[in-house]
Amino acid sequence: MDHDDDLHGRLAALEARAPVDTTPPALPSRRRRGRFAVPIALAPVFVLAIVATAAAGAVVVANLAEEHEGIQNPGQPLAGAHMECMSPPDADAFLADHGFTDVDWQVETGTTVAPDGGKGSSTTVHQSTPPEHGHVIPGSIQNDGSVIMVADQRVGATGVGDCFGSPMP
Amino acid sequence: MTSADATTATRQDRAAATNGETEAFEAAVRPHYAPLVRRLVLVLGDPHDAEDVAQDTYLSAFRSWDRFDGTDVRAWLYTIGLRLAFNHRRGRRRWLAAIGRIEPRPWSDPSDPDLWAALSALDASTRSALLLNVLDGYTQAEIGGMLQVPEGTVASWISRGRAALRRELGPDR
Repeated sequence: MDHDDDLHGRLAALEARAPVDTTPPALPSRRRRGRFAVPIALAPVFVLAIVATAAAGAVVVANLAEEHEGIQNPGQPLAGAHMECMSPPDADAFLADHGFTDVDWQVETGTTVAPDGGKGSSTTVHQSTPPEHGHVIPGSIQNDGSVIMVADQRVGATGVGDCFGSPMP
Repeated sequence: MTSADATTATRQDRAAATNGETEAFEAAVRPHYAPLVRRLVLVLGDPHDAEDVAQDTYLSAFRSWDRFDGTDVRAWLYTIGLRLAFNHRRGRRRWLAAIGRIEPRPWSDPSDPDLWAALSALDASTRSALLLNVLDGYTQAEIGGMLQVPEGTVASWISRGRAALRRELGPDR
């Protein structure tokens, strides 16, 4: 088999399983504010508040163990489900049947091999509905309860797991 | 219209423009936030560090939004994020060396431990270049522009990275 093809699929699946909090930070106002809006005499109070917040935050963070295992891994909710052998719509329906209705489909398109025989190129799109076709690469459950799934539609894609080498659904 | 009315109208126009910029930024950049965090997890190896750097990246990008050339949002965001990630690693190493403690909380991937181990063994620059090339399809020249290194350096990183993974994973794994 072509090592490069396999590498792309495995790296894409690995990245899809990476734990992520999908909420970006709140954006600050772009309007200019007064530089000394708070009396300077309150500075010690703010310093104490910052130190206390940092200490409390460190305790909270220390107790957070983030690790997102693959949804089909042993001990995970859909262990052994073999979603890699389903079409994306079937996998989506299967997930919904098991209570996972918030699914982020990461769709990979392009080619694994360029016309000149070199490396192909691909494009990644995230969407909430499953594509009609593609090799399914099961992902993981995120902090917010959503599930990441990969649909590899690249020309030359091989699929993974039990359905490695099978025709693209 | 009085002078006071004109001043009020100008302030409202500015506020509307500001809100419009924020909405445009969020519409363009927010969809790339989660993929950025995932990429940073692979580059930094630590979900908490990745979240920190991704948040800094998002805010930094927002501050620079008026200088974005409007072409490839993802490449622009990844460029900011990877540069911050490299600085973050350097800063953390100095800090850990200064206090004499190392308490990494790395992520591990039980689904494909061989790949994760092989990828983790690469240095961050090689890993970043390899991921940009293999996963995103960026050319060596594009990656050189993003990471601010010569194209030949990128070629060397990618070649070395591929060889290392091939060696660790074997041709048929």
